Amino acid sequence: AEYEWTFQTSETAGEPQFEVKKAWADNIKTMSDGRIAIEILPVNAVVQANQTLDAVSSGILQGHLTDPSYFSGQNPAFGMLGNLVGAWGDPLEYLEYMQHGGGEELYNELVEPYGVHLIGAGATGLESFVSKRPIRTVDDLKGLKVRAPEGMVYNIFQKAGAAPVNLPGSEVYTGLEKGVIDAADYTVFATNDDQGLHSFAKYPSYPGFHSLPMVAVSMNKDIWDGLPADLKAIMETATDSMAYDMVFTLKARDLKAVSAARANPDVEVIDMAPEERAKFRRIAQQEWKVWAEKNELTGKVYESVVSFLTERNLM
Amino acid sequence: MDIATATMLLVGAIFALLVTGLPLAFVTGLVALGYTFGWFGPMALPLVTSRVYGFITEYSLVAVPMFVLMASLLDRSGIAKDLFNAMRLMAGRLPGGVAIQTIVVAFFLAAMSGIIGGEIVLLGILALPQMLRLGYDKHIAIGVVCAGGSLGTMMPPSIVLIIYGLIANQSIADLFTAAITPAIVLMASYILYVLIRCLRNPALGPVMPEEERRASFQSKGELIKAVGVPAMIAGLVLGSIYGGVASVTEAAAMGSFGVLVAVMLRGEFSITLMQRALSQTMNTCGMIIWIGIGAAALVGVYNLMGGNRFVSSMILGLDIPPLAIIMVMMAILLLLGLFLDWIGIAMLTLPIFVPIIIQLGYDPVWFGVLFAVNMQVSFLSPPFGPAAFYLKGVAPEGISLKDIFVSLLPFIAIQLCVLALLLLWPQLSLWLV
Amino acid sequence: MAEHDVASPGLPEASDDHDPDLGTRTPLDRWVGKGTRAAAWIVLLAMGISVFEVVMRYGLDSPTSWVHETVIFLVATSFALGGPAALANNRHIRVRVLYDMVGERFRQWLDRFNDIMTLVFCVAMSYAAWVMFWRASHSPLGAWQLERSGTSWNPPFPAMTKGVILFALAVMTLQALWHLYQTFFPRSDSHSDVRIDEEKR
Ligand code: NA
Ligand code: NA
Repeated sequence: AEYEWTFQTSETAGEPQFEVKKAWADNIKTMSDGRIAIEILPVNAVVQANQTLDAVSSGILQGHLTDPSYFSGQNPAFGMLGNLVGAWGDPLEYLEYMQHGGGEELYNELVEPYGVHLIGAGATGLESFVSKRPIRTVDDLKGLKVRAPEGMVYNIFQKAGAAPVNLPGSEVYTGLEKGVIDAADYTVFATNDDQGLHSFAKYPSYPGFHSLPMVAVSMNKDIWDGLPADLKAIMETATDSMAYDMVFTLKARDLKAVSAARANPDVEVIDMAPEERAKFRRIAQQEWKVWAEKNELTGKVYESVVSFLTERNLM
Repeated sequence: MDIATATMLLVGAIFALLVTGLPLAFVTGLVALGYTFGWFGPMALPLVTSRVYGFITEYSLVAVPMFVLMASLLDRSGIAKDLFNAMRLMAGRLPGGVAIQTIVVAFFLAAMSGIIGGEIVLLGILALPQMLRLGYDKHIAIGVVCAGGSLGTMMPPSIVLIIYGLIANQSIADLFTAAITPAIVLMASYILYVLIRCLRNPALGPVMPEEERRASFQSKGELIKAVGVPAMIAGLVLGSIYGGVASVTEAAAMGSFGVLVAVMLRGEFSITLMQRALSQTMNTCGMIIWIGIGAAALVGVYNLMGGNRFVSSMILGLDIPPLAIIMVMMAILLLLGLFLDWIGIAMLTLPIFVPIIIQLGYDPVWFGVLFAVNMQVSFLSPPFGPAAFYLKGVAPEGISLKDIFVSLLPFIAIQLCVLALLLLWPQLSLWLV
Repeated sequence: MAEHDVASPGLPEASDDHDPDLGTRTPLDRWVGKGTRAAAWIVLLAMGISVFEVVMRYGLDSPTSWVHETVIFLVATSFALGGPAALANNRHIRVRVLYDMVGERFRQWLDRFNDIMTLVFCVAMSYAAWVMFWRASHSPLGAWQLERSGTSWNPPFPAMTKGVILFALAVMTLQALWHLYQTFFPRSDSHSDVRIDEEKR
C-alpha cells in the first residue's frame, strides 16, 4: 500500500467497538483501492490509553480512535467535547452537533496545536449505568458509592449527592462484586452483561442517563495535510459512515441483551423517568458552567453546545 | 528485514545479552530500545519510556510493595519465626510437614492477591529461610515457594483472569469459577509431590526431634499466639476483600497496616526496624519492577512492528485438526513464556487466539483457564522466569538462580501434567460453571 | 556447594541488615543508598493513606477524591527510584551461567561489556524520558504547563511521575558512567577492585 498506518483504539480486542473500527479500516482499504492500509490495535498495545494523543502527535502512532476524556488532564475541553454529561438524549443528537453544529471544528481547534487532526466524530451510544441499588430517581443517588474515572462525571455525581470513588477500570469487577462500590460508570449494556456484572449488580439503568462518550477518529496532522484530496474525502466519508455503524451495531446488541435481562427475574432493568432525567441534566448543566470558566476553549465549547441545544429546544 | 527474521533476531539478542550477565532489567530494555531505534528511528524512542510510565502507574501493582512490606515486618519481628516453629510442631512426625503447610499458606495468600510478585517475595522472605533453618532440602523449599506463590493468578481474585476476561470479552465470574478446581488440583499435586519425596527420604523434610518438641512452646497460650497473630492478619486481608470493605489492592495495604500494629503490640517496634523494612521494600520492588519495565517496553515495540499480525498468520496458515491448533497455541504461549512477562503474552496472543477458539467451537472460558495454567508455567520456566527472579531478589545468600531453576523443574513438570489433564478433560474446569 | 550450607542456626539475616554500603562501587552509589533510605518512607505513607481511604469510605461513607491517585503516584515514585537503588548496591538480577564458567580475564571483559551496555541503556532511556517529560511539562505552544490527571481533583501527577522517571534515569546514567570509569581506570583504593560477587557475598 502507498500508506501503511497503525491506529490504536481504546477497546480490548473482544469488545464490539473494536470490530466496528476494524471494519472502518477495511472499508478505507476498499474505497482507496488498496492505497491506504490501516492496522487497528487494541488498547494498551503500543502505549497506554491516556498516552495515545502524545504518541500520535509525535508520530509513533499515525492515528487513534479513542475516547478523548482520557486527555482531560491536558485540557478540560477534551472532557467537555468527549463526554458532556447530561447534554445528549441520544447519540444522533450528539453526532448532529459534531458534524453540523460546529463540534468538529471546535475539536480541531483543540487538537491541531498538538499536531493532530480530527477526521470525524463517532459515539458509542448512551452507556448503561450498572448498580447494585435501584436508581429510579436522582434522590436515589444520595450516598451511592459510584466509580467515576477522569472527565466531568465525578463532579456531576458529587453534585447529585453521590459519593464518587476514583477507582481504576480493572478494579470495577471485583469492587462491585464484593460491594466496595455500589455502582459504576463503565461501558455499554451488552458488554457489562457479557462480563457478568449483572449477576451481582442487578439494577442496570437502560438507556443510561449519565454518559455518552465520543469516539474521536484522528490522525497525525502532518500526514493528513500531505494526503491528496481524494484520500481525505475517503477517510472522512468512511468515518462518518462508521459513526452510524457504531451507534446501530451497539444498539442492536444492547437491545438483545436488555430483552434477555428483562426476562431474567433476578435483574431489574430500570428506565429512568423523563422528569428525573431532566433533573439530572439540570444538575449537570451547573457543572458545565463551572467547566466553561476553565479556559478560553472550554468557554467556547459551552457557548456552542448551549446555543445548539437552545436552537433545537433541548435545553 | 521481514518480521519473521526480526522476531528470530529479537529472541537471539535477548539470549545473547542474557548470558553475558547483564542485569535482566537492561537486557529486555536494550533490545526494546534497539528495535525502536532501528525500526522507527530516534523520534520513536519516547515510546519506550511511555511504556515505563504506563507500567509503573498500574494500580494493581500497588499491592506489590504492600506485600513486601508485610513480609519484611513479619520477618524482622519474631512473628514469622514463631509461626514456623509452631507449624513445625503441628507438623508432628510427618516428614515435609512444614513444606506442605507452606503450600497451604500459599493457597490462602492466593485468595488475597491477584498478582504474584508480592506473594513470592513474601514467601521468599518468610518461609524459605525458615524451612532452610529447619533443615529442609533447598530444592523442595525453593520449589514450594515459587510454585505455591504463583498460584495467586489461578485463584480468584486474579488479575490474569480479569485481563483475559476483558480482552476476550468473557464473563469474569465464569472464569473465576472455572479456575478454582484446577487451582486446587495444582495445589494438591504439589502437596502430593512433596509428600512422596519426603516419605521416601525423610532427610529432605526432617521432623522435629522429640526433646526439642518438649522444649519448645512452654504453654498452649504461646502456641496459640504464634499461630493466632498471622491468622488474624490473614483474616483482616481476606475479610477486607470478601466483606466488600476494600479493593484487592487496598486490602494488601490493610494487611501491612495490620502487621505493623501487631509488631507494635509485641513491643518490637523501633525506627531502625521500620527503616530496614522500608529499605528492603524499596530495594526489592526496584528489582522486581525493573525486570517488568524492560519486558513491557519490548511488547509495545513488537506490537508496533506488527508482531501480532505475525503470530496470527503463523496460526491461521496451519491446516491441522482443531486439537492440534490448540496444542500449537499452547506451544506458542510456553515459548513466549520463556522470555516475556505474562501481560505481554496476553496482549500479544489473546486478541488472535480467542476468536480462533470460538470459531473452532471451543469454550473460551475453558481456554481462559488453559491460558492461566500456561502462565503458571511461564512464571517458573527459565530463562525468563519471573517467579525465580522475584525469589532470587530476597533469597538468602548462597542460593543462585541456577539452584532456583533446577528446583523448579519438577514443579514445571507437574504444571504440564495438569495442563494436559485440562486439555483432554475440559470438565475439570467447566463443571462448576 | 554443600546441600545445607545456608541453613545457619538462628534467624538468617535479610540482606538489608548488612552494611548498607555493601555492593556499592562509588561514592555516588553510597549517596544514592542514603537517598533511598529516606525515600523508602513514602511506601509507609502510601500504606497509611490507603488505610485512611478505606476508613473514610467504608466507615464514614465519604470516599476521598485524592487517595487513589496519590497512592499510585507515591508507589510509582518508589518503583522508579528503586532502579538507581538496585543499581547502587548491585541488586539487579543477572544470569551468571557464562560468567561463572569463564576465567578471570574473560570475566573482566564481560564486566567492561556490561558496564558499557548499562551506560548505553541509561543514556538512551534518559534521552527518551527527557522528551517525554518535556512534552508533559509544556503546552503544545511551548509554554510551561504540567500534564494533569483529568480527574475531579486533577493533580499534576502525570507530569510529576514522568519527571521522577527522568530523574531516576539521569541518576542511573551518572552511576553507570562512574562504574565504567572505574572499570577502565581501576584505582587500588577504590571499591572497584573488590567488586562484590553477589553469589558469594
Ligand atoms: Na488470587
Ligand atoms: Na518463563
